[in-house]
Amino acid sequence: MSLIEIQNLSKYFKVLNRREGLRGAFLDLFSGDYRTVKAVDDISFSIDEGEIVGYIGPNGAGKSTTIKMMTGILQPTSGKIEVNQLEPYSNRIANARRMGVVFGQRTQLWWDLPVIESFKILKEIYEVDNETFKQQMGLFEDLIEIKKLYPVQVRTLSLGQRMLCDIAAAFLHNPKVVFLDEPTIGLDVSVKAKIRDVIRELNHTQNITIILTTHDLGDIEALCQRIIIIDKGKILFDGPVQRVNQLFGVYRTLKAQIFDFNQETLPRLNALIQTKFPDPDAVHINQSEDFWTDLIINQEKAPLREVLNLIMSEFALEDIRIVEISMENVVQRIYDGALL
Amino acid sequence: MKRLRHYFRLYFLIEAQYIKSKMQYRDDFFISSIGMFFSSLTTIAVFWVLLASIPDLAGWSFNQLVFIYAFYMLAISPFQILFDHFWQLRFHVIEGTFIKYYFRPLNMLFYYLSEMFDIKGVVQLVLGIAMFIYASIKLQVSWNLPLLLLLAATLFSASLVTISIMMIAASSAFWIFNSWPVLDLARRLREFSPYPMTIFDGFFKILFTYIIPIGFVAFYPSQFFLGSQSISTAVYLSPLIGIGTFALAYWIWLKGVNSYTGTGS
Ligand SMILES: Nc1ncnc2c1ncn2[C@@H]1O[C@H](COP(=O)(O)OP(=O)(O)OP(=O)(O)O)[C@@H](O)[C@H]1O
Ligand SMILES: [Mg+2]
Repeated sequence: MSLIEIQNLSKYFKVLNRREGLRGAFLDLFSGDYRTVKAVDDISFSIDEGEIVGYIGPNGAGKSTTIKMMTGILQPTSGKIEVNQLEPYSNRIANARRMGVVFGQRTQLWWDLPVIESFKILKEIYEVDNETFKQQMGLFEDLIEIKKLYPVQVRTLSLGQRMLCDIAAAFLHNPKVVFLDEPTIGLDVSVKAKIRDVIRELNHTQNITIILTTHDLGDIEALCQRIIIIDKGKILFDGPVQRVNQLFGVYRTLKAQIFDFNQETLPRLNALIQTKFPDPDAVHINQSEDFWTDLIINQEKAPLREVLNLIMSEFALEDIRIVEISMENVVQRIYDGALL
Repeated sequence: MKRLRHYFRLYFLIEAQYIKSKMQYRDDFFISSIGMFFSSLTTIAVFWVLLASIPDLAGWSFNQLVFIYAFYMLAISPFQILFDHFWQLRFHVIEGTFIKYYFRPLNMLFYYLSEMFDIKGVVQLVLGIAMFIYASIKLQVSWNLPLLLLLAATLFSASLVTISIMMIAASSAFWIFNSWPVLDLARRLREFSPYPMTIFDGFFKILFTYIIPIGFVAFYPSQFFLGSQSISTAVYLSPLIGIGTFALAYWIWLKGVNSYTGTGS
């Protein structure tokens, strides 16, 4: 029996088309000029107990909206959704008892109280017995050294410390499922690593199902067996992470600052690449932020070293950077048929 | 019943912690308490001087007016003490921080309100009690058990009226982007409630009795205890009116909560 069951689920938002200026603002008061945003558009999937699923996609793809429906905040426009055999929106309280949520950088702890008091209040809210409480807190003490934060007021925690506490809090009552919306956003590598450790450990030992959204492909590689990729409200891919891993793995983005960049530079660069690597999937050229040119390179078809040598033979480079492919580019590759 | 006990325990646990955390900054706590005391006292003093300078306001004596004012102070203190977080509702709604209140297995109104406890209201409550005792001694109100029960019932209902009016005003944030004027208007209207409704003419009397029933916050329920000859029929409704308005207010709050979509991020 699956834990989460979603069928043909959609969520549309009606957004007022705002007009400009003061006069526009006045007209808006009486306006019936709405436009529909299809934040989630006819998606279906099911998730089994104990899975860790990465729910990824570019900005505005519909990830948070889906999570808000699974957690019972938003009523779906149409379609079916069940979590623990319950429809979340109409059974909010029953659903909340068996789930944990962390929403980005917004803490759910009690801002003015010391960390430990938040945990005691949560113990009371979820009616966690002493035994379980001690055991869970012990686990957090081992995994993320939460003990030294106990007396600290939540408002004075650093972002990383607070995130760790929030994540621990989401697991305190031994929920069946935990939703994590961008749990590692804005954190340094060591905190990220700790967060991944807790998540992995709790999933492993307590069989807690985890659904996580992130823009950090490192989170996906470290945690997920399965990923669901969503874009513009529609699911692009749902399957084992290995298949997409190739995409993340094979591609690199070479960022170059070309000396004396002018309007002829890009056509020249394009022509140069064309002669050596005619396959359109080998190297993709994008002009990104000021002064930087991005070359998205498929290393199977165009070895990075060769591309670099080729460019350096013709252009003077001021600076280069090599980075992993971004989420947007992964999605673009999928649209281009990379997974077919 | 078990749920109710659970909620009570939780409320005391959270508030105790909250007060403890405030007490940590001891100087700050004392100074702000004293500040609140004097600021409440000033409000009363202004009212006092105003009343004392009018010998006879629409046939109401000074002490009767003090009684009504004291009743008002008692009736609004539950709102001030327990419902203080309503003032912030519009920020939570606009900034999207409101979504966290959906995540706990708790009644959302309870969870939302439990996050704030206003000590200032306690100071006002104490002052209100003192004034109430003063006025009832001066007026020689002979308290007996039925009258005390009636007092409890009317105060309960009157508190619900204030709570409901402010709750409806605060909930407007779910539909209106800048809802401060609504909340401000409700607060200003509420300030009319310690005045005898008889001083208002037809339109306002109807408004304050039937539409925005602030007459039931102090004036009408006070009639039971002031021994006035002509008790209007509206007065007999006052022990009940609170429950009706609260039901309406809660319904509006639920509508807002259920239609809230949060912000885009
Ligand atoms: N409350 C709302 N009212 C109107 N439109 C909304 C609302 N919430 C989300 N949207 C729109 O729905 C779409 C999906 O938003 P959503 O927050 O689900 O994206 P996301 O995948 O979480 O993006 P991100 O990675 O940036 O967090 C966006 O176009 C957004 O503008
Ligand atoms: Mg999001």
